[in-house]
Amino acid sequence: MDLRSRQFASLYRHEISNGQLRSNLSKATLQAVDKRAQSFQEVDFPFLQKEARNIKREAISNLNELLSRFEDNARRNGCKIFYAQTPEKANAYILGVAQKFGARTAVKSKSMVTEEIGVVPFLAKYGIEAVETDLGEYIVQLAGESPSHITTPAIHKSRTEISRLFHEKIGTELNDDPAFLTAEARRVLREKFLSADLGISGANFLIAETGDVVIVENEGNARLSTSAVKVHVVVTGIEKVISNFSDLRIFMRLLGRSSTGQKLTSYVSLLRGPKGEDETDGPEEVHIVLLDNGRSNLLGTEHQEVLHCIRCGACLNVCPVYRSIGGHAYGSVYPGPIGSLVTPLYFGNENAPDLPFASSLCGNCTEVCPVGIEIHHQLLAMRHEIKSKSGTSVERFIFKNYRKTMLRPGRYRLMSKVVRALARTSLLRLLMRGWYPYRETPQFPPRSFREMYKSGEIK
Amino acid sequence: MMEDDREKIFASIRKGLRQSERYSAERSSKSPLLDKPGPDFLSLFEKFRSELKTLGGEAVSVQDEAEAFELINTRSHANEALFIYEEIKSKYALLTSSLSERKSVKFQPEFSHGYDRHEAAKFKGVVTGCYACVAETGTVILRTAMRLPAALATQLFVVARGADLRPSLDQIFTEDTARFGGSNLFLVTGPSRTADIEKQLVTGVHGPKDVFVIFMKS
Repeated sequence: MDLRSRQFASLYRHEISNGQLRSNLSKATLQAVDKRAQSFQEVDFPFLQKEARNIKREAISNLNELLSRFEDNARRNGCKIFYAQTPEKANAYILGVAQKFGARTAVKSKSMVTEEIGVVPFLAKYGIEAVETDLGEYIVQLAGESPSHITTPAIHKSRTEISRLFHEKIGTELNDDPAFLTAEARRVLREKFLSADLGISGANFLIAETGDVVIVENEGNARLSTSAVKVHVVVTGIEKVISNFSDLRIFMRLLGRSSTGQKLTSYVSLLRGPKGEDETDGPEEVHIVLLDNGRSNLLGTEHQEVLHCIRCGACLNVCPVYRSIGGHAYGSVYPGPIGSLVTPLYFGNENAPDLPFASSLCGNCTEVCPVGIEIHHQLLAMRHEIKSKSGTSVERFIFKNYRKTMLRPGRYRLMSKVVRALARTSLLRLLMRGWYPYRETPQFPPRSFREMYKSGEIK
Repeated sequence: MMEDDREKIFASIRKGLRQSERYSAERSSKSPLLDKPGPDFLSLFEKFRSELKTLGGEAVSVQDEAEAFELINTRSHANEALFIYEEIKSKYALLTSSLSERKSVKFQPEFSHGYDRHEAAKFKGVVTGCYACVAETGTVILRTAMRLPAALATQLFVVARGADLRPSLDQIFTEDTARFGGSNLFLVTGPSRTADIEKQLVTGVHGPKDVFVIFMKS
């Protein structure tokens, strides 16, 4: 994966100045927020959120047992299991499978873990074309970009931009009707489905009790990527395992609603291994690659609950920061509030030191999280960790004094006067010049509320 | 094949879990649904029909197999190839016999030997049975020994019986899951869809654009 989160400051400055991007994002995310709210009207969201949180908490705190049970059952179903600590190891294994089947083309359905390991560019180096088959992913692949949203990868692109892209890359006529563009993508991808040997997918859930792989989608591309091929490789994180189908029913009520405002997505595939003796189609082999890549390091830490995430993307849609800068600014395949946690936790604080600060800490993300991750508290804790190790002496001086000021009323009153006096000069604007290009600060009144109340000016 | 990292990963998991307490969640038996349909067929069917209609699909209740055939015959494209799943042949003799008189019809057993993907893609419509239907979401659950035709076709006709209809996903996922058999299950909820371009809904992406569910009364 091409991780560019260290360049967050320059990336977000570039993105925030793009008016078209902000308009596309604002329109799409506000619509998603409305649809989500409507879809939850028929169910008890607090109840589901609590149940889901408890189920995930239990699953993660028993991860070794559930993984073992899943592994046993999946092997019994005929699947081959491979554990990979690193993306390099996962990619090498997938390449081995592809070469065993002589695959030249792979059809890939949408999956965050495959983005995390960068399997598409990796296979390309060995002459294997891996084609993204989800429409949004296909669009960003044609554009040579990375997805900018967890569930809506091309959210940053307008129909006009997509029409131009299709015209240049696959020779379609210039027509920006989404139905036309979708039909053109279907036409091109249908041939890929009918000729590819290898199918690559992620997994939304793994069922320990039965060894099933659960894949949730809307377009039907995952169904084809896992059915029409000789070999299917599932690549997923070790944290995706849950106990049984009874637990799955809770997540089925949450995932579609949280991600796209649907009661249930168009397709949920419960896959139980390769083609059986009584079956006439389906893959001859199914390989399940279980990736760690830093996940197990979170166990036993205060960030363990980040492993509960089901990648619905709801926190992105409600985040004022994401809405302004979009997904590419984060420089990671995991953008938005959850990405600001996952990226430094998986790839190291030193590789994404600014991301936990890309939040207003408004708490919208925590409110909508279907599994109740306290995202904004987690972000705050990450800030403490990062700054306690790497804060500059100026920052340490400021925050030390800020703390003292907030704890002492006399000092607070004195500092309020100083700030109000400064605000009437251009000095404050000069000191905070990084703040002003994108924001306005209200005028400070000449006297504080307390002073006005004391003098009887306010009753 | 290369050696994997199983032992290293499990060691890391065990090390982490030693520092956190083991948690056991109590499961509530409460349904999360605020509005539940009545248990009778008509209430369930109305709920199913309305959910599927919202998604752009269609559910109808018919008296008998003759009526089911009329519906399939009228809604499918007369000159385009139709694929009939084995379940139809084993459960609905009259419907099977009527369908076999149509042009360009293939039945699962005769077609399934040595077929290739391009052949399967030629079917514009498929007729199949189902494992169950879910009123809560307008979902049909397919359990099939042949995956591709139903995934590639433009039109999907599902023939079901009243007894196949369950109120909610709770019944499906808390039933004895051994009944799922050793096979794969596919939950299909309305037409294939996307809103990846400016959040505008488009149906019929890679899977069926038209989904018809026919409930047989008799």
